[in-house]
Amino acid sequence: MDEANDIDLLDRQFREAAPYIDDDGFTRRVLHQLPARRPRLQLFRATILLGVTLLASIVAYFLSGGGQFISDGIMRMAGMSPIMILAIAAIVGVFVMAAGMVAAISRNRELRS
Amino acid sequence: MELTDADLIARVLVDEDQHAFSELVRRHQSSVRGLLRQLTRTDFALADDLAQEAFLRAYKHIRSFRGEARFSTWLYRIAYNVFREDARRRKELVGIDEDVLQAEQDPQTVDAGLRHDLMHALNLLPLHERTAVLLCCQNGLSHDEAARVLDIPLGTVKTNVLRGREKLKKTLAAWGNN
Repeated sequence: MDEANDIDLLDRQFREAAPYIDDDGFTRRVLHQLPARRPRLQLFRATILLGVTLLASIVAYFLSGGGQFISDGIMRMAGMSPIMILAIAAIVGVFVMAAGMVAAISRNRELRS
Repeated sequence: MELTDADLIARVLVDEDQHAFSELVRRHQSSVRGLLRQLTRTDFALADDLAQEAFLRAYKHIRSFRGEARFSTWLYRIAYNVFREDARRRKELVGIDEDVLQAEQDPQTVDAGLRHDLMHALNLLPLHERTAVLLCCQNGLSHDEAARVLDIPLGTVKTNVLRGREKLKKTLAAWGNN
């Protein structure tokens, strides 16, 4: 029992004696030495994204009867009052701006860290 | 919600996400640098160089991490290998010169100002015992995990920890600090 207590005490002393070492630029130095990301991988990802987008557009075009919904939408909007169109444009604008700001803030945090 | 080590590793694997890897470095730098500082007998500059090399090696070989052990255990193994390679290169593998080691182990030869320092007492142990004690007592690894890190049999780790602890207790007792 005493031996077990001794071991616990020693382990506790060890953990207390080991101070947390501040990063102090260490992570940044490691990061600067990492090999550059492979451009092949980035190209591959871009190709996949572009391919999937094109494919989805083609499928949507045929499923919607040759893009009929677009001309329908335009016709509906043409029948709206100018104030309504302005309101829709303002709401969409606010949403796009908010999304842009969130993306910018998150990117800024990434760069700072 | 904070991402787990496994999440971050997945991001590095799938996307070569260096930001995710930097988070892993930030999480584990203190324990890896602390271990290496003790292994190099508090040569901070050398320890940090070795830690840097260990993290770079971890990044390059992260695909070989299979998740069977904790990420920290895997990192300790890399760090220990980097240390051993460096020590071999420098021909300074501690434990070779037993005379110097014995002289260092004599508690009476130690500066009185350092007598209450557990970490200093640890530095008096031979490398194999010091490493085993550090991993198990300070870094909280099980004997089995330490055996993996050091690539030695489980029984040897147990013996080294036991002997290291005994010597530490004796040294601290001699310093009046138990």
